[in-house]
Amino acid sequence: MNDATTFTQPKLHRQINERVKESLLGYLLILPSVLVIGVFGLFPIFYSIYMSTFNWRVTKGAFTGWENYTKLFGEPRGLLIFAAGIVLLVLAFFFWKSAFTTNKKIQRILKIVAAMLLIAFGVAFSTGWNSFTGTGDANFFKSLTITLYYSMLTVPTQLLIGLVLAYILFQNIKGKEVFRMFYFLPYVTPAVSTAVVFRIIFSPRETSLANILLSNLGLQPLDWLYEPNSFINMLFGSNLEGFIAGPSLALITIAIYGVWTFAGYDAVIYLAGLGSISKEIYEAAEIDGSNGWHLFWHITFPLISPVSFYLLLISFIGTFKAFNHLYVMRVPSAQNSVITASLNIFDTFYKANNFGYAATQAIVLFIIIAGLTFAQNKLLGKKVFYG
Amino acid sequence: MAKHSRLVRIIGRAILYLILIVGAIIAMTPFFWMISTSFMSLGETINRAWIPQTPQWGNYAEAWKQANFGVYFKNSVIITTVSLLGLMINSILAGYAFASIKFPGKNIIFAILLATMMVPESVTVLPSLLLVRGSIIPLPGVDSRAFDACVGAGGQVLACQFQNFTFGASWLNTLQALTIPFMANAFSIFLLRQFFQQMPSELYDAARIDGAGHLRYLFQIVLPISKAPIMTVLLFGFIGSWNSFMWPLLVTTRDVKRPIMVGLWNFVTEAGPQTHLLMAGAVITLIPILIVYFITQKQFTEGIATTGLKG
Repeated sequence: MNDATTFTQPKLHRQINERVKESLLGYLLILPSVLVIGVFGLFPIFYSIYMSTFNWRVTKGAFTGWENYTKLFGEPRGLLIFAAGIVLLVLAFFFWKSAFTTNKKIQRILKIVAAMLLIAFGVAFSTGWNSFTGTGDANFFKSLTITLYYSMLTVPTQLLIGLVLAYILFQNIKGKEVFRMFYFLPYVTPAVSTAVVFRIIFSPRETSLANILLSNLGLQPLDWLYEPNSFINMLFGSNLEGFIAGPSLALITIAIYGVWTFAGYDAVIYLAGLGSISKEIYEAAEIDGSNGWHLFWHITFPLISPVSFYLLLISFIGTFKAFNHLYVMRVPSAQNSVITASLNIFDTFYKANNFGYAATQAIVLFIIIAGLTFAQNKLLGKKVFYG
Repeated sequence: MAKHSRLVRIIGRAILYLILIVGAIIAMTPFFWMISTSFMSLGETINRAWIPQTPQWGNYAEAWKQANFGVYFKNSVIITTVSLLGLMINSILAGYAFASIKFPGKNIIFAILLATMMVPESVTVLPSLLLVRGSIIPLPGVDSRAFDACVGAGGQVLACQFQNFTFGASWLNTLQALTIPFMANAFSIFLLRQFFQQMPSELYDAARIDGAGHLRYLFQIVLPISKAPIMTVLLFGFIGSWNSFMWPLLVTTRDVKRPIMVGLWNFVTEAGPQTHLLMAGAVITLIPILIVYFITQKQFTEGIATTGLKG
């Protein structure tokens, strides 16, 4: 821009003209996509906020302000305590981080402060949570725990299996393409169709495939998708309740489906990532006397971390988005042990026809996902090695 | 010593293949089960044979007839074709604009589009549904007053929707409602942008000297060498549209307008214990996906590897 003065007037004019034209072309080209995504992806979020302030059954009713939110969270005090807990957690994180930059004495104090903040967070979190489930919409918060179980069951498992398969496939395997094609197939095929197959494979009948396998191992048949009881309780005959009781067998079965679908996808993406690591690094390390495990842990694993981070993020978000297979595989006998947040919202408006309240739940879920995504970016984003 | 290490190597190798084969078997078993069951007689599904004595080809005809798959199949083919056409055009144009054209606010718009990828369908689907029903703004050729009056008078929602359709008063059961939401997504734009960005800028400069503008450069030079990423967008778009379930479930109220996944789900709730027919139906819904997957498979995996999806 500095040498713009050196141009003669008409030339400058033409340049500006061309720049405006180029910008207009840019806007024109993105317009259709922006319209579609704007109308069906962004606008609904804002409109949901609007809907959540009304008593909206099928058609719009009276304006109710915060009422839907107080119905969801219960006592406002509980929400305040919970919010304070989140602030404490963030503070603890910053204290802990800054502890590594100053001298030893201060370091110790900062660490103690961080630990105390963390304890305070724990207290505030559980107080707030108890208030939510006690005075608010217990079903909604239960559905959040179910979603969390589902994430914890599927995401680490599928990433691990994906990485192992990809790493093996990367070792000059004959028929690599064929294996890759097989592994990716579950991801490609329609969730409704394959979930219907899983419904039959994991049915409680003694002749279902899953139960035939159990009886071959000399075990008793199980109810699988129809079993609302906690798996831990079933295994140890214990009587745990609440969060520590863990997921139901029905949810674990659905998680098996989740892993079956996405492990192959993860493997294909990992394989692409492995292919982009330069061969020279391996050769250099081999000359230095590194062997298989060493190579994997000190070279492959850090170099592949951007892929791991990408997959972790999209799988985690994916578990919050998951709907189709959950909808198909849930059966009434599993009760609410398989109702994730997405299913819960869907039921609120599709079955109960309570649109305003469903919008409220949707907004809260959206805020939770945004928060967790942000936190993952902050916590893990820095650990990723981009070379 | 050398012999010993060679033996270890062979065993190690064998273990690797064993893991891969077990993985492949687990990945394929449900498909095997599905196909095998689809050829069984009712008795065999109850007594749980592994493989049918004589394949019952009639199951397919029976399922096709019972569940109206002919209609669903046709609907899905139309919906998918139209959606894909829109998706392709829109993503190529937007992907190119975000990669190579300068305009104010480009990065912020792109970031906002990307952020929509993390929003669950269950969050966005309700206002979208109201929109398609014509309850938020009047839609072209649509008047929602009939519907609102029907519900206001104490009518059942489903009944009103149905009545509404016969008045032509909403976009429920229409092609535009079933296709437009699938005509753009951030993922496809991102994928193509990544690829277009890797084009050397000399290429554009050369085209420029020859007097070509952006559009001619895009269609004559960029697109012909972008087969792999376009195939990837096509396959993902095809999967997304063909496999879509929640949205079509909500915006179709009449059987003759339903796509295949909603049809299959209806069949699940109706077929009851007729497992063999159910599986035949499930296989029918898979066939187009399998064909497209096996055809595009190679370019598609190439597309993933070359578009920087790897991180």
